[in-house]
Amino acid sequence: MSGSLLEVTGVSMHFGGLTAVDNVTYTIRSGEVRGIIGPNGAGKTTLFNAITGDLKPSSGKVYLKGEDITGLSPDLICQKGMSRTFQLTYVFPEMTVYECVWVGVYSKARRASTMFFSQADRLKDVADKTMELCRLVGLEEKRDELASNLSYGDQKVLEIAMALSTEPALLLLDEPTQGVGPQEADGIVQLIELLSQRMSILLIEHNIDIILRVCHNLTVLSFGRVIADGSCEEIGRNEEVQRIYLGDITCS
Amino acid sequence: MERKGIVTRFALVSLLVLAVLGVVLPSGARSLVVQIMIFSIFAMGYDICLGYTNQCSLGHSMFFGAGAYGAILSIMSFKLGLIPALGVALVAGFVFAFLLGLICVRLSEAYFVIVTAIISAVFHLLAMDMTWLTGGDDGLSTTIPPVFGLSLYNPYVNYYFVFFFLLVSYLILRRIIGAPLGRIFISIRENPRRAHFLGYNITRYKLIAFVLSGVFGALAGALYTMTMRYASADYFNFYWSVLPIVWCLIGGTGTLAGCWIGVALMSLFQYYVSAWFTHYLLLFGILILIILKVSRRGMLGYFAGRG
Repeated sequence: MSGSLLEVTGVSMHFGGLTAVDNVTYTIRSGEVRGIIGPNGAGKTTLFNAITGDLKPSSGKVYLKGEDITGLSPDLICQKGMSRTFQLTYVFPEMTVYECVWVGVYSKARRASTMFFSQADRLKDVADKTMELCRLVGLEEKRDELASNLSYGDQKVLEIAMALSTEPALLLLDEPTQGVGPQEADGIVQLIELLSQRMSILLIEHNIDIILRVCHNLTVLSFGRVIADGSCEEIGRNEEVQRIYLGDITCS
Repeated sequence: MERKGIVTRFALVSLLVLAVLGVVLPSGARSLVVQIMIFSIFAMGYDICLGYTNQCSLGHSMFFGAGAYGAILSIMSFKLGLIPALGVALVAGFVFAFLLGLICVRLSEAYFVIVTAIISAVFHLLAMDMTWLTGGDDGLSTTIPPVFGLSLYNPYVNYYFVFFFLLVSYLILRRIIGAPLGRIFISIRENPRRAHFLGYNITRYKLIAFVLSGVFGALAGALYTMTMRYASADYFNFYWSVLPIVWCLIGGTGTLAGCWIGVALMSLFQYYVSAWFTHYLLLFGILILIILKVSRRGMLGYFAGRG
Protein backbone atom coordinates (compact mmCIF):
# COMPACT_ATOMS: atom_id res chain seq x y z
CA MET A 1 0.00 0.00 0.00
CA SER A 2 1.58 3.28 -1.05
CA GLY A 3 1.34 6.65 0.67
CA SER A 4 -1.55 9.02 0.42
CA LEU A 5 -1.79 11.14 -2.71
CA LEU A 6 -4.54 13.49 -1.66
CA GLU A 7 -5.38 14.31 1.91
CA VAL A 8 -8.45 16.31 2.69
CA THR A 9 -8.64 17.19 6.38
CA GLY A 10 -11.62 18.87 7.97
CA VAL A 11 -12.60 20.89 4.92
CA SER A 12 -15.69 23.02 5.36
CA MET A 13 -17.34 25.38 2.95
CA HIS A 14 -19.75 27.99 4.21
CA PHE A 15 -21.80 30.32 2.05
CA GLY A 16 -23.22 32.86 4.46
CA GLY A 17 -25.31 30.84 6.86
CA LEU A 18 -25.34 27.78 4.64
CA THR A 19 -22.86 25.03 5.27
CA ALA A 20 -22.44 23.19 1.97
CA VAL A 21 -19.50 21.06 3.03
CA ASP A 22 -19.06 20.29 6.69
CA ASN A 23 -15.75 19.09 8.10
CA VAL A 24 -15.01 16.53 5.40
CA THR A 25 -11.97 14.33 5.80
CA TYR A 26 -10.69 11.58 3.55
CA THR A 27 -7.54 10.42 1.86
CA ILE A 28 -6.77 8.91 -1.49
CA ARG A 29 -3.86 6.56 -1.86
CA SER A 30 -2.05 6.48 -5.16
CA GLY A 31 -3.68 4.01 -7.46
CA GLU A 32 -6.96 4.23 -5.63
CA VAL A 33 -10.27 4.90 -7.33
CA ARG A 34 -12.62 6.52 -4.89
CA GLY A 35 -16.23 7.34 -5.53
CA ILE A 36 -18.08 10.17 -3.89
CA ILE A 37 -21.78 9.54 -3.70
CA GLY A 38 -24.65 11.25 -2.01
CA PRO A 39 -28.08 12.66 -2.76
CA ASN A 40 -28.49 15.80 -4.82
CA GLY A 41 -27.25 18.83 -2.97
CA ALA A 42 -25.06 16.81 -0.66
CA GLY A 43 -22.09 19.02 -1.50
CA LYS A 44 -20.19 16.74 -3.86
CA THR A 45 -19.42 19.30 -6.53
CA THR A 46 -18.79 22.01 -3.94
CA LEU A 47 -16.24 19.71 -2.39
CA PHE A 48 -14.61 19.31 -5.80
CA ASN A 49 -14.52 23.04 -6.22
CA ALA A 50 -12.96 23.49 -2.79
CA ILE A 51 -10.23 20.96 -3.57
CA THR A 52 -9.34 22.18 -7.05
CA GLY A 53 -9.00 25.84 -6.16
CA ASP A 54 -12.25 27.10 -7.61
CA LEU A 55 -13.37 27.99 -4.10
CA LYS A 56 -11.22 28.64 -1.08
CA PRO A 57 -12.26 26.33 1.75
CA SER A 58 -13.68 28.19 4.75
CA SER A 59 -11.62 25.91 6.95
CA GLY A 60 -9.58 22.76 6.71
CA LYS A 61 -6.57 21.76 4.69
CA VAL A 62 -5.94 19.99 1.41
CA TYR A 63 -2.64 18.24 0.78
CA LEU A 64 -1.51 16.87 -2.55
CA LYS A 65 1.51 14.57 -2.37
CA GLY A 66 2.12 15.92 1.10
CA GLU A 67 2.16 19.53 -0.07
CA ASP A 68 -0.35 22.03 1.24
CA ILE A 69 -2.43 23.24 -1.69
CA THR A 70 -5.30 24.80 0.27
CA GLY A 71 -6.59 27.90 -1.48
CA LEU A 72 -4.08 27.86 -4.33
CA SER A 73 -5.42 28.99 -7.69
CA PRO A 74 -6.69 26.34 -10.14
CA ASP A 75 -3.81 26.77 -12.58
CA LEU A 76 -1.20 26.08 -9.89
CA ILE A 77 -3.11 23.11 -8.53
CA CYS A 78 -3.39 21.73 -12.05
CA GLN A 79 0.35 22.13 -12.54
CA LYS A 80 0.95 20.19 -9.33
CA GLY A 81 -0.82 17.16 -10.77
CA MET A 82 -4.54 17.36 -10.10
CA SER A 83 -6.90 17.74 -13.00
CA ARG A 84 -10.67 17.73 -13.24
CA THR A 85 -13.67 17.59 -15.50
CA PHE A 86 -16.91 19.46 -15.02
CA GLN A 87 -20.47 18.37 -14.48
CA LEU A 88 -21.73 20.38 -17.43
CA THR A 89 -19.51 19.90 -20.43
CA TYR A 90 -16.78 22.40 -20.47
CA VAL A 91 -14.77 22.38 -23.69
CA PHE A 92 -13.53 25.06 -26.07
CA PRO A 93 -16.53 25.18 -28.43
CA GLU A 94 -14.89 26.79 -31.46
CA MET A 95 -11.67 24.84 -31.36
CA THR A 96 -11.18 21.46 -32.94
CA VAL A 97 -10.92 18.34 -30.81
CA TYR A 98 -7.23 18.23 -31.57
CA GLU A 99 -6.71 21.85 -30.54
CA CYS A 100 -8.66 21.40 -27.30
CA VAL A 101 -6.39 18.58 -26.23
CA TRP A 102 -3.34 20.36 -27.63
CA VAL A 103 -3.85 23.34 -25.33
CA GLY A 104 -3.74 21.06 -22.31
CA VAL A 105 -0.68 19.16 -23.52
CA TYR A 106 1.14 22.42 -24.19
CA SER A 107 0.30 23.60 -20.68
CA LYS A 108 2.69 20.94 -19.45
CA ALA A 109 5.26 21.42 -22.22
CA ARG A 110 5.21 25.21 -21.93
CA ARG A 111 8.44 27.02 -22.61
CA ALA A 112 9.07 30.69 -23.16
CA SER A 113 11.25 29.81 -26.14
CA THR A 114 8.39 28.20 -28.07
CA MET A 115 5.50 30.27 -26.79
CA PHE A 116 5.66 33.37 -28.95
CA PHE A 117 6.95 32.58 -32.40
CA SER A 118 7.18 28.83 -32.95
CA GLN A 119 4.49 27.46 -35.14
CA ALA A 120 2.14 25.61 -32.85
CA ASP A 121 1.65 22.62 -35.10
CA ARG A 122 5.36 22.09 -35.64
CA LEU A 123 6.09 21.22 -32.02
CA LYS A 124 6.53 17.53 -32.54
CA ASP A 125 6.49 16.26 -28.97
CA VAL A 126 3.29 18.17 -28.22
CA ALA A 127 1.69 16.93 -31.44
CA ASP A 128 2.64 13.32 -30.74
CA LYS A 129 1.27 13.43 -27.25
CA THR A 130 -1.94 15.09 -28.43
CA MET A 131 -2.48 12.41 -31.04
CA GLU A 132 -1.75 9.71 -28.51
CA LEU A 133 -4.43 11.12 -26.21
CA CYS A 134 -6.95 11.43 -29.04
CA ARG A 135 -6.28 7.80 -29.87
CA LEU A 136 -6.51 6.72 -26.24
CA VAL A 137 -9.98 8.17 -25.76
CA GLY A 138 -11.12 7.14 -29.24
CA LEU A 139 -11.56 10.58 -30.76
CA GLU A 140 -8.82 10.14 -33.33
CA GLU A 141 -11.22 10.14 -36.27
CA LYS A 142 -13.01 13.23 -35.05
CA ARG A 143 -9.93 15.24 -34.22
CA ASP A 144 -10.61 17.94 -36.83
CA GLU A 145 -14.22 18.47 -35.81
CA LEU A 146 -15.14 21.54 -33.83
CA ALA A 147 -15.74 20.59 -30.22
CA SER A 148 -19.20 22.15 -30.36
CA ASN A 149 -20.16 19.83 -33.22
CA LEU A 150 -19.51 16.69 -31.20
CA SER A 151 -22.31 14.68 -29.62
CA TYR A 152 -22.84 15.28 -25.94
CA GLY A 153 -21.21 11.96 -25.11
CA ASP A 154 -18.17 12.73 -27.22
CA GLN A 155 -17.88 16.11 -25.55
CA LYS A 156 -17.77 14.33 -22.21
CA VAL A 157 -15.01 12.10 -23.57
CA LEU A 158 -13.17 15.11 -24.94
CA GLU A 159 -13.37 16.68 -21.52
CA ILE A 160 -11.71 13.66 -20.00
CA ALA A 161 -9.02 13.83 -22.67
CA MET A 162 -8.45 17.50 -21.84
CA ALA A 163 -8.19 16.69 -18.15
CA LEU A 164 -5.69 13.93 -19.00
CA SER A 165 -3.64 16.20 -21.20
CA THR A 166 -1.94 17.85 -18.25
CA GLU A 167 -0.64 14.46 -17.04
CA PRO A 168 -2.37 14.47 -13.68
CA ALA A 169 -1.49 12.07 -10.87
CA LEU A 170 -5.04 12.47 -9.65
CA LEU A 171 -8.03 12.83 -11.91
CA LEU A 172 -11.30 14.26 -10.62
CA LEU A 173 -14.35 13.32 -12.66
CA ASP A 174 -17.61 15.11 -11.96
CA GLU A 175 -20.45 12.91 -13.21
CA PRO A 176 -18.74 11.81 -16.43
CA THR A 177 -21.75 9.86 -17.69
CA GLN A 178 -24.52 12.25 -16.72
CA GLY A 179 -26.95 12.84 -19.55
CA VAL A 180 -25.20 10.36 -21.84
CA GLY A 181 -26.91 7.44 -23.56
CA PRO A 182 -26.25 3.92 -22.20
CA GLN A 183 -23.98 2.89 -25.03
CA GLU A 184 -21.78 5.96 -24.88
CA ALA A 185 -21.81 5.75 -21.09
CA ASP A 186 -20.43 2.25 -21.33
CA GLY A 187 -17.58 3.53 -23.47
CA ILE A 188 -16.82 6.20 -20.88
CA VAL A 189 -16.83 3.65 -18.07
CA GLN A 190 -14.43 1.45 -20.02
CA LEU A 191 -12.20 4.47 -20.47
CA ILE A 192 -12.31 5.17 -16.73
CA GLU A 193 -11.43 1.53 -16.02
CA LEU A 194 -8.48 1.82 -18.35
CA LEU A 195 -7.33 5.05 -16.71
CA SER A 196 -7.70 3.62 -13.23
CA GLN A 197 -4.71 1.42 -13.96
CA ARG A 198 -2.54 4.47 -14.52
CA MET A 199 -3.64 7.04 -12.00
CA SER A 200 -5.78 7.75 -9.00
CA ILE A 201 -9.31 8.82 -9.69
CA LEU A 202 -11.89 10.61 -7.62
CA LEU A 203 -15.30 10.10 -9.14
CA ILE A 204 -18.65 11.71 -8.52
CA GLU A 205 -21.36 9.57 -10.02
CA HIS A 206 -25.03 8.89 -9.46
CA ASN A 207 -25.19 5.59 -11.26
CA ILE A 208 -24.53 2.93 -8.64
CA ASP A 209 -23.71 0.24 -11.19
CA ILE A 210 -20.89 2.36 -12.55
CA ILE A 211 -19.66 3.18 -9.06
CA LEU A 212 -19.53 -0.48 -8.12
CA ARG A 213 -17.80 -1.32 -11.35
CA VAL A 214 -14.89 1.06 -11.11
CA CYS A 215 -14.44 2.21 -7.53
CA HIS A 216 -12.44 0.57 -4.78
CA ASN A 217 -13.67 2.79 -2.00
CA LEU A 218 -16.54 5.15 -1.42
CA THR A 219 -17.17 8.29 0.53
CA VAL A 220 -20.82 8.97 1.18
CA LEU A 221 -21.90 12.56 1.68
CA SER A 222 -25.18 13.80 3.00
CA PHE A 223 -25.93 17.44 3.77
CA GLY A 224 -22.25 18.20 3.41
CA ARG A 225 -21.16 15.66 5.99
CA VAL A 226 -19.34 12.36 5.51
CA ILE A 227 -21.71 9.71 6.81
CA ALA A 228 -19.74 6.69 5.69
CA ASP A 229 -16.33 5.89 4.29
CA GLY A 230 -15.02 2.51 3.26
CA SER A 231 -14.90 -0.19 0.64
CA CYS A 232 -17.90 -0.85 -1.55
CA GLU A 233 -18.82 -3.91 0.53
CA GLU A 234 -18.69 -2.00 3.78
CA ILE A 235 -20.76 0.82 2.38
CA GLY A 236 -23.25 -1.65 1.00
CA ARG A 237 -23.73 -3.10 4.47
CA ASN A 238 -23.94 0.26 6.19
CA GLU A 239 -27.51 0.68 7.35
CA GLU A 240 -27.56 4.45 7.45
CA VAL A 241 -26.34 4.61 3.87
CA GLN A 242 -28.90 2.07 2.79
CA ARG A 243 -31.58 4.08 4.45
CA ILE A 244 -30.80 7.48 2.95
CA TYR A 245 -29.28 6.64 -0.34
CA LEU A 246 -28.84 3.16 -1.67
CA GLY A 247 -32.24 1.79 -0.93
CA ASP A 248 -32.00 -1.98 -1.11
CA ILE A 249 -29.05 -2.32 -3.45
CA THR A 250 -26.35 -4.58 -2.10
CA CYS A 251 -22.84 -5.22 -3.26
CA SER A 252 -22.11 -8.56 -4.77
CA MET B 1 -7.56 24.14 -42.92
CA GLU B 2 -10.07 25.64 -45.28
CA ARG B 3 -11.57 28.31 -43.05
CA LYS B 4 -8.12 29.66 -42.27
CA GLY B 5 -7.15 29.52 -45.92
CA ILE B 6 -9.78 32.07 -46.88
CA VAL B 7 -8.53 34.63 -44.37
CA THR B 8 -4.93 34.15 -45.42
CA ARG B 9 -5.81 34.47 -49.08
CA PHE B 10 -7.82 37.59 -48.39
CA ALA B 11 -4.89 39.10 -46.49
CA LEU B 12 -2.35 38.29 -49.19
CA VAL B 13 -4.53 39.68 -51.98
CA SER B 14 -5.21 42.83 -49.95
CA LEU B 15 -1.53 43.37 -49.28
CA LEU B 16 -0.74 42.87 -52.94
CA VAL B 17 -3.42 45.34 -53.98
CA LEU B 18 -2.18 47.84 -51.41
CA ALA B 19 1.37 47.48 -52.71
CA VAL B 20 0.19 48.37 -56.21
CA LEU B 21 -2.25 51.10 -55.17
CA GLY B 22 0.56 53.27 -53.86
CA VAL B 23 1.77 53.92 -57.39
CA VAL B 24 -1.57 53.98 -59.14
CA LEU B 25 -3.79 56.16 -57.00
CA PRO B 26 -4.23 59.93 -57.32
CA SER B 27 -2.90 61.85 -54.34
CA GLY B 28 -6.22 62.39 -52.53
CA ALA B 29 -7.15 58.75 -52.58
CA ARG B 30 -3.60 57.78 -51.75
CA SER B 31 -3.61 59.69 -48.49
CA LEU B 32 -6.95 58.07 -47.69
CA VAL B 33 -5.38 54.65 -48.18
CA VAL B 34 -2.44 55.63 -45.97
CA GLN B 35 -4.96 56.43 -43.27
CA ILE B 36 -6.71 53.12 -43.86
CA MET B 37 -3.43 51.24 -43.47
CA ILE B 38 -2.58 53.03 -40.22
CA PHE B 39 -5.98 52.33 -38.78
CA SER B 40 -5.66 48.74 -39.91
CA ILE B 41 -2.64 48.32 -37.67
CA PHE B 42 -4.64 49.80 -34.80
CA ALA B 43 -7.55 47.48 -35.57
CA MET B 44 -5.42 44.34 -35.86
CA GLY B 45 -3.89 45.08 -32.48
CA TYR B 46 -7.35 45.62 -31.07
CA ASP B 47 -8.49 42.31 -32.50
CA ILE B 48 -5.92 40.55 -30.30
CA CYS B 49 -7.82 41.98 -27.37
CA LEU B 50 -11.42 41.70 -28.52
CA GLY B 51 -11.31 38.87 -31.02
CA TYR B 52 -8.77 36.55 -29.46
CA THR B 53 -9.10 37.00 -25.72
CA ASN B 54 -12.58 38.49 -25.52
CA GLN B 55 -11.59 41.67 -23.72
CA CYS B 56 -13.74 44.53 -24.93
CA SER B 57 -11.54 47.45 -23.99
CA LEU B 58 -12.76 51.03 -24.21
CA GLY B 59 -9.37 52.37 -23.28
CA HIS B 60 -7.40 52.00 -26.47
CA SER B 61 -7.46 55.72 -27.24
CA MET B 62 -4.89 55.96 -24.45
CA PHE B 63 -2.45 53.82 -26.37
CA PHE B 64 -3.11 55.60 -29.63
CA GLY B 65 -2.51 58.92 -27.86
CA ALA B 66 0.52 57.62 -25.99
CA GLY B 67 2.06 56.47 -29.25
CA ALA B 68 1.26 59.75 -30.96
CA TYR B 69 2.76 61.88 -28.20
CA GLY B 70 5.63 59.50 -27.63
CA ALA B 71 6.62 60.03 -31.24
CA ILE B 72 5.99 63.76 -31.58
CA LEU B 73 7.54 64.75 -28.24
CA SER B 74 10.68 62.75 -28.88
CA ILE B 75 10.99 64.41 -32.28
CA MET B 76 10.25 67.91 -31.00
CA SER B 77 11.92 67.95 -27.60
CA PHE B 78 14.71 65.44 -28.00
CA LYS B 79 15.38 65.85 -31.70
CA LEU B 80 15.28 62.11 -32.17
CA GLY B 81 15.25 60.52 -35.59
CA LEU B 82 12.16 58.84 -36.97
CA ILE B 83 13.03 55.28 -36.00
CA PRO B 84 14.10 56.09 -32.41
CA ALA B 85 10.93 58.17 -32.10
CA LEU B 86 8.92 55.13 -33.16
CA GLY B 87 10.77 53.14 -30.52
CA VAL B 88 9.84 55.69 -27.86
CA ALA B 89 6.21 55.53 -29.00
CA LEU B 90 6.16 51.75 -28.68
CA VAL B 91 7.70 51.90 -25.23
CA ALA B 92 5.11 54.51 -24.22
CA GLY B 93 2.34 52.25 -25.48
CA PHE B 94 3.85 49.30 -23.67
CA VAL B 95 4.06 51.15 -20.36
CA PHE B 96 0.54 52.56 -20.60
CA ALA B 97 -0.94 49.20 -21.60
CA PHE B 98 0.96 47.34 -18.93
CA LEU B 99 -0.16 49.67 -16.16
CA LEU B 100 -3.76 49.86 -17.33
CA GLY B 101 -3.73 46.10 -17.86
CA LEU B 102 -2.50 45.44 -14.33
CA ILE B 103 -5.54 47.29 -13.02
CA CYS B 104 -8.17 46.09 -15.46
CA VAL B 105 -7.38 42.66 -16.83
CA ARG B 106 -8.56 40.75 -13.79
CA LEU B 107 -11.95 42.45 -13.81
CA SER B 108 -14.93 40.62 -15.22
CA GLU B 109 -16.39 41.76 -18.51
CA ALA B 110 -18.68 44.69 -17.67
CA TYR B 111 -16.31 46.10 -15.07
CA PHE B 112 -13.43 45.75 -17.48
CA VAL B 113 -15.26 47.82 -20.08
CA ILE B 114 -16.27 50.51 -17.60
CA VAL B 115 -12.92 50.84 -15.86
CA THR B 116 -10.93 51.01 -19.10
CA ALA B 117 -13.35 53.66 -20.35
CA ILE B 118 -13.12 55.73 -17.18
CA ILE B 119 -9.34 55.62 -16.94
CA SER B 120 -8.92 56.58 -20.57
CA ALA B 121 -11.41 59.41 -20.04
CA VAL B 122 -9.24 60.66 -17.19
CA PHE B 123 -6.25 60.65 -19.49
CA HIS B 124 -8.20 62.53 -22.12
CA LEU B 125 -8.97 65.26 -19.57
CA LEU B 126 -5.35 65.30 -18.42
CA ALA B 127 -4.14 65.65 -21.99
CA MET B 128 -6.58 68.52 -22.56
CA ASP B 129 -5.40 70.26 -19.39
CA MET B 130 -1.66 69.77 -19.62
CA THR B 131 -1.27 72.16 -22.49
CA TRP B 132 2.42 72.79 -21.67
CA LEU B 133 3.12 69.18 -22.63
CA THR B 134 0.45 68.20 -25.10
CA GLY B 135 -0.63 71.47 -26.63
CA GLY B 136 -4.15 70.62 -25.50
CA ASP B 137 -6.86 70.87 -28.07
CA ASP B 138 -4.68 72.86 -30.45
CA GLY B 139 -2.09 70.16 -30.41
CA LEU B 140 1.50 70.15 -31.49
CA SER B 141 2.83 70.17 -34.99
CA THR B 142 6.35 69.63 -36.11
CA THR B 143 8.54 68.82 -39.05
CA ILE B 144 9.21 65.15 -39.45
CA PRO B 145 12.85 64.12 -39.89
CA PRO B 146 13.72 61.96 -42.88
CA VAL B 147 14.11 58.21 -42.56
CA PHE B 148 17.23 56.68 -44.17
CA GLY B 149 17.63 59.81 -46.24
CA LEU B 150 14.06 59.68 -47.52
CA SER B 151 11.61 62.38 -46.56
CA LEU B 152 8.12 61.43 -45.45
CA TYR B 153 6.96 64.59 -47.19
CA ASN B 154 7.26 62.64 -50.37
CA PRO B 155 3.85 60.96 -50.60
CA TYR B 156 5.28 57.75 -52.07
CA VAL B 157 7.77 57.41 -49.25
CA ASN B 158 5.01 58.07 -46.76
CA TYR B 159 2.79 55.46 -48.39
CA TYR B 160 5.36 52.69 -48.46
CA PHE B 161 6.69 53.59 -45.06
CA VAL B 162 3.23 52.93 -43.60
CA PHE B 163 2.70 49.94 -45.87
CA PHE B 164 5.92 48.42 -44.55
CA PHE B 165 4.64 48.65 -40.99
CA LEU B 166 1.27 47.22 -41.93
CA LEU B 167 3.02 44.26 -43.55
CA VAL B 168 5.36 43.71 -40.61
CA SER B 169 2.55 44.08 -38.05
CA TYR B 170 0.44 41.58 -39.93
CA LEU B 171 3.26 39.07 -40.19
CA ILE B 172 4.19 39.40 -36.52
CA LEU B 173 0.61 39.11 -35.28
CA ARG B 174 -0.13 36.24 -37.60
CA ARG B 175 2.91 34.43 -36.36
CA ILE B 176 1.86 34.96 -32.76
CA ILE B 177 -1.66 33.74 -33.45
CA GLY B 178 -0.23 30.62 -35.09
CA ALA B 179 2.13 30.09 -32.16
CA PRO B 180 1.21 28.38 -28.90
CA LEU B 181 0.45 31.79 -27.42
CA GLY B 182 -2.28 32.36 -30.00
CA ARG B 183 -3.86 29.06 -29.20
CA ILE B 184 -3.80 29.85 -25.51
CA PHE B 185 -5.49 33.17 -26.31
CA ILE B 186 -8.22 31.42 -28.25
CA SER B 187 -8.77 28.85 -25.52
CA ILE B 188 -9.17 31.69 -23.04
CA ARG B 189 -11.69 33.36 -25.34
CA GLU B 190 -13.58 30.10 -25.72
CA ASN B 191 -13.70 29.16 -22.06
CA PRO B 192 -11.51 31.02 -19.56
CA ARG B 193 -12.45 28.82 -16.64
CA ARG B 194 -11.52 25.65 -18.48
CA ALA B 195 -8.20 27.13 -19.55
CA HIS B 196 -7.57 28.09 -15.96
CA PHE B 197 -8.12 24.48 -14.92
CA LEU B 198 -5.71 23.33 -17.62
CA GLY B 199 -2.97 25.14 -15.77
CA TYR B 200 -2.94 28.54 -17.43
CA ASN B 201 -2.77 31.72 -15.42
CA ILE B 202 -5.58 33.56 -17.20
CA THR B 203 -4.70 36.97 -15.84
CA ARG B 204 -1.17 36.73 -17.16
CA TYR B 205 -2.21 35.73 -20.67
CA LYS B 206 -4.94 38.34 -20.82
CA LEU B 207 -2.36 40.90 -19.79
CA ILE B 208 0.02 39.74 -22.51
CA ALA B 209 -2.77 40.12 -25.07
CA PHE B 210 -3.73 43.50 -23.70
CA VAL B 211 -0.18 44.84 -23.79
CA LEU B 212 0.42 43.42 -27.26
CA SER B 213 -2.68 45.15 -28.48
CA GLY B 214 -1.69 48.38 -26.74
CA VAL B 215 1.73 48.38 -28.39
CA PHE B 216 0.17 48.12 -31.85
CA GLY B 217 -2.25 50.88 -30.90
CA ALA B 218 0.76 53.03 -30.05
CA LEU B 219 2.45 52.12 -33.33
CA ALA B 220 -0.66 53.27 -35.17
CA GLY B 221 -0.75 56.49 -33.14
CA ALA B 222 2.89 57.19 -33.95
CA LEU B 223 2.45 56.51 -37.67
CA TYR B 224 -0.65 58.70 -37.73
CA THR B 225 1.26 61.52 -36.09
CA MET B 226 4.15 61.17 -38.51
CA THR B 227 1.79 61.24 -41.45
CA MET B 228 -0.21 64.20 -40.18
CA ARG B 229 2.90 65.88 -38.66
CA TYR B 230 0.57 66.73 -35.83
CA ALA B 231 -0.80 65.36 -32.58
CA SER B 232 -3.45 66.78 -30.31
CA ALA B 233 -5.15 65.86 -27.06
CA ASP B 234 -8.04 64.77 -29.22
CA TYR B 235 -6.14 61.53 -29.90
CA PHE B 236 -7.08 60.53 -26.36
CA ASN B 237 -10.75 61.10 -27.18
CA PHE B 238 -13.27 58.37 -26.43
CA TYR B 239 -13.96 58.32 -30.17
CA TRP B 240 -10.61 56.59 -30.77
CA SER B 241 -11.60 53.87 -28.33
CA VAL B 242 -14.87 53.14 -30.05
CA LEU B 243 -13.52 53.10 -33.59
CA PRO B 244 -11.48 49.89 -33.23
CA ILE B 245 -14.52 48.05 -31.90
CA VAL B 246 -16.54 49.15 -34.91
CA TRP B 247 -13.78 48.18 -37.33
CA CYS B 248 -13.38 44.76 -35.80
CA LEU B 249 -17.09 44.05 -35.57
CA ILE B 250 -17.70 44.96 -39.19
CA GLY B 251 -14.76 43.05 -40.56
CA GLY B 252 -14.98 40.07 -38.27
CA THR B 253 -13.45 39.63 -34.83
CA GLY B 254 -10.84 36.95 -34.40
CA THR B 255 -9.74 36.96 -38.03
CA LEU B 256 -6.86 39.46 -37.78
CA ALA B 257 -7.14 40.67 -41.39
CA GLY B 258 -10.92 40.97 -41.29
CA CYS B 259 -10.81 44.32 -39.58
CA TRP B 260 -9.15 45.80 -42.67
CA ILE B 261 -12.53 45.57 -44.36
CA GLY B 262 -14.09 47.41 -41.47
CA VAL B 263 -11.47 50.13 -41.57
CA ALA B 264 -11.73 50.51 -45.33
CA LEU B 265 -15.50 50.62 -45.30
CA MET B 266 -15.69 53.17 -42.54
CA SER B 267 -12.96 55.37 -44.00
CA LEU B 268 -14.48 55.33 -47.47
CA PHE B 269 -17.86 56.08 -45.97
CA GLN B 270 -16.43 58.96 -44.00
CA TYR B 271 -14.63 60.33 -47.02
CA TYR B 272 -17.23 60.03 -49.73
CA VAL B 273 -20.64 59.85 -48.06
CA SER B 274 -19.95 62.64 -45.61
CA ALA B 275 -19.50 64.94 -48.61
CA TRP B 276 -23.18 64.80 -49.52
CA PHE B 277 -24.81 63.74 -46.27
CA THR B 278 -23.79 65.34 -42.97
CA HIS B 279 -25.32 62.64 -40.80
CA TYR B 280 -23.45 59.87 -42.57
CA LEU B 281 -22.78 58.13 -39.25
CA LEU B 282 -26.50 57.45 -39.05
CA LEU B 283 -26.33 55.54 -42.32
CA PHE B 284 -23.20 53.84 -41.13
CA GLY B 285 -24.91 52.72 -37.95
CA ILE B 286 -27.69 51.15 -39.97
CA LEU B 287 -25.11 49.45 -42.15
CA ILE B 288 -23.41 47.98 -39.07
CA LEU B 289 -26.74 46.67 -37.82
CA ILE B 290 -27.44 45.00 -41.14
CA ILE B 291 -23.99 43.43 -41.34
CA LEU B 292 -24.17 42.08 -37.82
CA LYS B 293 -27.71 40.87 -38.38
CA VAL B 294 -26.58 38.84 -41.38
CA SER B 295 -23.33 37.65 -39.86
CA ARG B 296 -22.52 38.00 -36.20
CA ARG B 297 -18.90 37.41 -37.05
CA GLY B 298 -18.61 40.31 -39.40
CA MET B 299 -17.97 40.32 -43.10
CA LEU B 300 -14.90 38.14 -43.33
CA GLY B 301 -16.17 35.92 -40.55
CA TYR B 302 -19.20 35.21 -42.70
CA PHE B 303 -17.00 33.35 -45.14
CA ALA B 304 -14.26 32.12 -42.94
CA GLY B 305 -15.33 31.36 -39.39
CA ARG B 306 -13.12 32.28 -36.52
CA GLY B 307 -9.88 31.04 -35.02
